[in-house]
Amino acid sequence: MTRTRPITALLCALLLNSCGSNDRSDSGAERVSYNCAANAVEIKSLQAEIPAFADSTGVEISLQPFSGQEKLYAMIAAGQPPDIFYTNNVLRDKLAAEGRLLDLRSLSAADPFTDRLWPDVYRQGLSADGGLYSIGNWSFTAGVYYNKELFDKAGIPYPDTSWTWNDLLGAARRIAARTNASGEPEHYGIFIPSHFIEVFELMNGAPVGDQSLFLNFSESSLEIYQQYLALMNDRLMPDLRRIQAMGMQASQLLQSGKVAMLVEAVPHQVLFETLTIPWGVSPIPRFGNRPVRCFRSESGGLSISSQTANPEAAWKALKWIIAGASIYQPNPVLRDADFVAGWEARYPVLSGSGFREVWQRSLNHPAGDPRMFVRFSSWTSATILERLQPMLDKLWARETTIESLVAAQPEINRAARAELTRLIQRGRLDQKFVEAIEEQLRKASP
Amino acid sequence: MTRSALTFRQSLDGYAFISPWLIGFLVFTAGPMIASFVISLHSWSMLSPPSWVGLENYQSIITEDPLFPISLWNTGFYVALSVPLTIAVGLALAILLHNKLPGMSFFRTMVFLPSIMNIIAVSVLWLWIFNPEFGLLNSFLRWGGIDGPLWLQSETWAKPSLVVMSLWGVGGTTIIFLAALQGIPPELHEAAELDGAGPARRFFHITIPMISPAIFFSSIMGVIGSFQVFAQVFVMTGGAQSGSEGGPNNATLFLVLYLYKKAFQEFRMGYASALAWILFFIILAFTVLQTRLSKSRVYYESHR
Amino acid sequence: MNKARSYDAIPTAWGTLARSGAVYILLAAISTAFLLPLAWMLSVSLQDIRGVFAQPFVWIPSHLHWENYADVSELIPLGRYFLNTVLVTVPVLLGTLFSSSLVAYGFSRIRFRGRSALFALCLSTMMLPGQVTMIPLYILFSRLGWIDTLWPLIVPSFFGSPFYIFLLRQFFLTIPREYDEAARLDGAGKFRIYWSIILPMARPALITVALFSFIGTWNDFFTPLIYINSPENATLTLGLNMLKSQIVGTGMTQWHLLMAAACMVMIPNIILFTLGQKYIVKGIAMGGVR
Repeated sequence: MTRTRPITALLCALLLNSCGSNDRSDSGAERVSYNCAANAVEIKSLQAEIPAFADSTGVEISLQPFSGQEKLYAMIAAGQPPDIFYTNNVLRDKLAAEGRLLDLRSLSAADPFTDRLWPDVYRQGLSADGGLYSIGNWSFTAGVYYNKELFDKAGIPYPDTSWTWNDLLGAARRIAARTNASGEPEHYGIFIPSHFIEVFELMNGAPVGDQSLFLNFSESSLEIYQQYLALMNDRLMPDLRRIQAMGMQASQLLQSGKVAMLVEAVPHQVLFETLTIPWGVSPIPRFGNRPVRCFRSESGGLSISSQTANPEAAWKALKWIIAGASIYQPNPVLRDADFVAGWEARYPVLSGSGFREVWQRSLNHPAGDPRMFVRFSSWTSATILERLQPMLDKLWARETTIESLVAAQPEINRAARAELTRLIQRGRLDQKFVEAIEEQLRKASP
Repeated sequence: MTRSALTFRQSLDGYAFISPWLIGFLVFTAGPMIASFVISLHSWSMLSPPSWVGLENYQSIITEDPLFPISLWNTGFYVALSVPLTIAVGLALAILLHNKLPGMSFFRTMVFLPSIMNIIAVSVLWLWIFNPEFGLLNSFLRWGGIDGPLWLQSETWAKPSLVVMSLWGVGGTTIIFLAALQGIPPELHEAAELDGAGPARRFFHITIPMISPAIFFSSIMGVIGSFQVFAQVFVMTGGAQSGSEGGPNNATLFLVLYLYKKAFQEFRMGYASALAWILFFIILAFTVLQTRLSKSRVYYESHR
Repeated sequence: MNKARSYDAIPTAWGTLARSGAVYILLAAISTAFLLPLAWMLSVSLQDIRGVFAQPFVWIPSHLHWENYADVSELIPLGRYFLNTVLVTVPVLLGTLFSSSLVAYGFSRIRFRGRSALFALCLSTMMLPGQVTMIPLYILFSRLGWIDTLWPLIVPSFFGSPFYIFLLRQFFLTIPREYDEAARLDGAGKFRIYWSIILPMARPALITVALFSFIGTWNDFFTPLIYINSPENATLTLGLNMLKSQIVGTGMTQWHLLMAAACMVMIPNIILFTLGQKYIVKGIAMGGVR
């Protein structure tokens, strides 16, 4: 018993020490907290550079590397939000409408930094009320990754920028022609994860609804659904459900030689680091004579809390994270960054892989859609997806038809309308947002 | 000393012993619980002050919400499958491990191992096991000439898959039963054996009654816990992949996952709290029912 | 069951041997099923990142990447996180054991007014999903100034946890009352009976609670995730999570390192369980009431 006493005392002392207040001595620097969704490699790199940034600017960034939506909400509800945090488009609009985010327009207007951003990055941060509530911190496009060996074996030339959807189908068909004893193709032609269908819809001319509050299946979208189902019915693509639900499946699928082509994000670090097969990547093919549409997308950006004590310091820190921290350089959201060269230096395998061509195409995108992955405006997306997603699941399982999907559209939109009405009636939203929503409601007459 | 004075003294002692919990309850638990009930009568986005809506949330959950009955059915299905199986398997394993044979401590560790593992690692592992194309399970089945199902991606198999996963963590229940088995005096078995009672008879007339308090505990906690199944579903069929939360055609949309989505994806904390309180009363009803049913079946040595 | 009875009927050593054989075969099969995933973890932890994605999966890699374990400690301040985790786990263990057993004794051994109602209340606190009490609780802790400290992870355990209170109560109820009566006749007070009669007799249950509490706290992810902000105050589980990718493109999950870290984090649990389980089965015979 007596022998454990010193240990207990030591434990207590350590405990008191580490539970004590966080009032670390300050050198008069302004402190900005950054709640970052970053992995250990990024954190380590950021931590190494923060002191130098503090020395040159007087802004000390304290990292909060543990993030989650519940956590962020708890912090905001308790009145202690981080100064800078990541928001996706949905979260951003919701928080902005409740007055929780700083409108960055006044800070960005006078700042040459803003000129360094691609216009779409800037545009995407704009919200329903015209305010700027986030700055995109990363962006990507999509491409068709292909297994060179399988193309060589089938005697097909590699895909390139001239390819159309029909070229892709033809190649897929030839690769999947050889079947095994049970009638399954030895190699499937292609795999397109379902959340990439939108890219093809856009290529096929589907309208880009920037702030669309309601579900509206266009002819060109339905055509793509048909094509997508045909891919599975014709055994050019493996059954969607067999492949889903695994964080690492995309890479595995291509690596295994089970599919010859895979549609995925570009850049895609997992693919770059783990593929050991010879591979290349080419742009998403266009449809017949339809014009090529280019896209780059962000899943979101960095926002500043409206409660921040020092907006200037937070803005400096935000700019540094995007354009200064070496782990994120060259950052594709910056016009003056040579993204391709930087990544080719990081991953030699990218040289001559087609990465340069894919990325080049994504840069010519004044008419492109930067919101590739955000289908509906934040206000109704949950309401619509909650109803639409199970139907789409059923459609891909071929348990329902495209017709019944279309037939459900009015019902789903009624629910969206009810949700909007509820939001307005609740009467907590900023007036600017209420007006923006009301206008949308008027535009989409029932 | 009068009788009432004695009772008063007794009560004082009782309160003194339970005071840690009582204080903790008043300080840390009661407030947030009451708050959540009050919130359930409001519309609240967690960002701006809540606005009073009375019973509207409850009303729309019960009369309008199409996903509530689905999530209720999913949850019920999971509870009905996982609670009895966990108890049966846990008991069987405990009895196997109760054997006084060399090497048992090794096997006990093996059985408990999954319960030690970190949830992040475990969920990744199971995603791989259940992967229809490359997963361990279907590779085994293919080896036996069976074309395995889609598991987590199948409307039929998603819930059973999660039950299988929960059974893998049966070690905790096993340990509780194992601890309970220690409390049975060996003389009881010896006496019964002398009376000519076979193993089956001894099992049902000595073992089961003697560990019935532990079985009662496991079934109550099983019901409370599995009605609130969340973490593994969140990590495996939702969470990471947006749009697919709740599994194929909402097959794994359990109540807590649903209320989590309402709270933190749709920012309707009032509605989520109402869902939580409905779940609370469902669990309460089951617990009361279990307690009633088991009253005559649970044997407490100290109540003799 | 008939079969079992027939074994019993054989009065020779053969019956016992056959029975033991059956037990071993069964246990070996079950253990393999339980062990396989761990083997996978170990295997991944010794491969490079490409090995994780290899098709088909290679169980025993030709080159063992032991350096993964060193890489992890380079990326994450494991020592600091280990210390933080110990600083949380040990007090929680002691607090849980003491407070929960005390409360369980009150609920199982002393008759007092309102006992069943209070016990029902105690159980019912487990029936409300934590997701809806989280925000009020967070606000409470933030008023106390406890955000980004270890206090929210530690302090509640000193006020008894309903799960362990219930578990211990069930075990205390199986202890015959004659022991209490005898001690009372000897002039022992209630606390004395709790401390020197009930606790020693409930040793298997207490060890069980200790193991559960240790492992549960050691592996807890959601509580520290909510309350801890600074990397200096993180626990091991939060460190593990940092090896997972957060955003596409800028970072990727380091599966091999994640599994190496998970294996390391598990070691104290395995040691503790291996030691603890012996006491669970040795039970009362060891502790003994004299």
